[in-house]
Amino acid sequence: MNYSMVKKLIFKDWYFQRSAILLSLAGGLASLGIVAFGGKAGFFIGLVLLICVIITIAATLVMNTLVAERDNQTLAFVMSLPISYLEYTAAKILVNLLVFVAFWLILVAGSLALIVAAPPIHGLFAFTVIMAVEILASTCLMIAVALVTESKGWTISAMIVGNLAINVVGYIVAHIPGIAKGMWGTVIQWRPAASISLATEFALIALLVGGAFFIQSRKKDFI
Amino acid sequence: MNDLSVHFDGVSKRYPHFSLEDIHLELPAGSIMGFIGANGAGKSTTIRILMGLVHQDEGSVMVLGHPMPLDQAAAKLDIGFVSEDMRLYGQATLSWHMDFMRPIYPRWDQAYGEALARRFDLRPQQKIKGLSHGQRVKAALLLALARRPRLLVLDEPTTGLDPVARVEVLNELMAVLADEDRTILFSSHNTLDVEQISDQITFIDRGRIIDSDDKEVFLDRWRRLRLVLPPDGVVPRLPGIIEVGGSSRLPVLTTNRFEPAMVSVCNDLGATVQAVDTMTLEEIFVANVHSRRERLTA
Repeated sequence: MNYSMVKKLIFKDWYFQRSAILLSLAGGLASLGIVAFGGKAGFFIGLVLLICVIITIAATLVMNTLVAERDNQTLAFVMSLPISYLEYTAAKILVNLLVFVAFWLILVAGSLALIVAAPPIHGLFAFTVIMAVEILASTCLMIAVALVTESKGWTISAMIVGNLAINVVGYIVAHIPGIAKGMWGTVIQWRPAASISLATEFALIALLVGGAFFIQSRKKDFI
Repeated sequence: MNDLSVHFDGVSKRYPHFSLEDIHLELPAGSIMGFIGANGAGKSTTIRILMGLVHQDEGSVMVLGHPMPLDQAAAKLDIGFVSEDMRLYGQATLSWHMDFMRPIYPRWDQAYGEALARRFDLRPQQKIKGLSHGQRVKAALLLALARRPRLLVLDEPTTGLDPVARVEVLNELMAVLADEDRTILFSSHNTLDVEQISDQITFIDRGRIIDSDDKEVFLDRWRRLRLVLPPDGVVPRLPGIIEVGGSSRLPVLTTNRFEPAMVSVCNDLGATVQAVDTMTLEEIFVANVHSRRERLTA
């Protein structure tokens, strides 16, 4: 693996996406502020805004760093560089995950800190962690589909599926007895059901990333 | 074998509606090969296989001593590639692209790159999206040349350019190549472009290489013989006749194995040779393609 080339491609994508990333980060922090200081209504409005910001930056990154390479015909330029398919795949997965996870960690850590600081909503801790990882899994789905298909249509479909999945998973998780019990309580609880949910999500993430690598390694036509 | 920059041996690639079949191609180091074919003939597929961007179904490909696509990353360190469908990053400047590529290529020549920018009349600080198509092609050529590649692969670089920009790009390319010693594969459907810079020519049609030789050999051995036959005379059987046109009294023979002795042979057989016309590369290409297609449908 030519790590130096992988690093160059990661920095290239960061350079082109830095404005969108910083703007979204400002939006995310503002949403956290609304959650913290906006009262009861502000809590829910800020939370929705926060989720929207996280989903938007994930979609922006995927569309601009993966789909746009083919749409803008810059893929031929990138692939003319001394790089193999798998190095390209590694660079694209890493840039999307590194930027998104850094961004996601700041906002998720902020959300959890707010929950920890507010005893009346302590019970939401486990649910929030599971839903945060679900958003990460949806992002990985988008990355995998965009990487493998390089198609705007398929990527948008994956976005829709991922976003719908957030609602469906949220509903299911909220009704798992081990998690639902005490969810609106004032005590932070972490039951086995939460660990199982989290492990399932991480397994899905590993499957999506590994699957993308596997399919890319079997591709015969890259352009 | 060692002084071949490119060696295709029995390469095939099959798609549902197109096949590249049994491609044998040798490009000696230091030569400039014009790769000519109609649109959809298989030029770009061949070049993509050469670059390791498409895997061949059969056969082997060696580029600069590297097996492709396995060792493509190492091979591409020494290849400059410009294709008609390649775009640079519109939101970045030419200067950014040069800075991006400089640390990647050990032989990157910044002074040469800057000199090319002046020669091509490009402003390094201008964003790529503000450049005309001709300027973008020149910018891509600059980036390919400044890495000082051992092999330069140009896939229809002049396609889509207006006549003025096309001539400008070709003139600049020839000026740059005049004082260089590198191997070049230049594909185009425009024979005039290829004729200007190539010393070897390969024709491809419908996924097969139909002829390959030195440009001068092509131009020397292809001729049109304009004959006048006596009443009831028959067209003389000459070697390498590809096409018989004209009328029954005034046939026009196209041969790919012309020798001056043919004229006396014709005279001996009762036909008068009115003229022996040289052929342009375009005429040779078209005659070659027609002849092959007729053979296939016969």
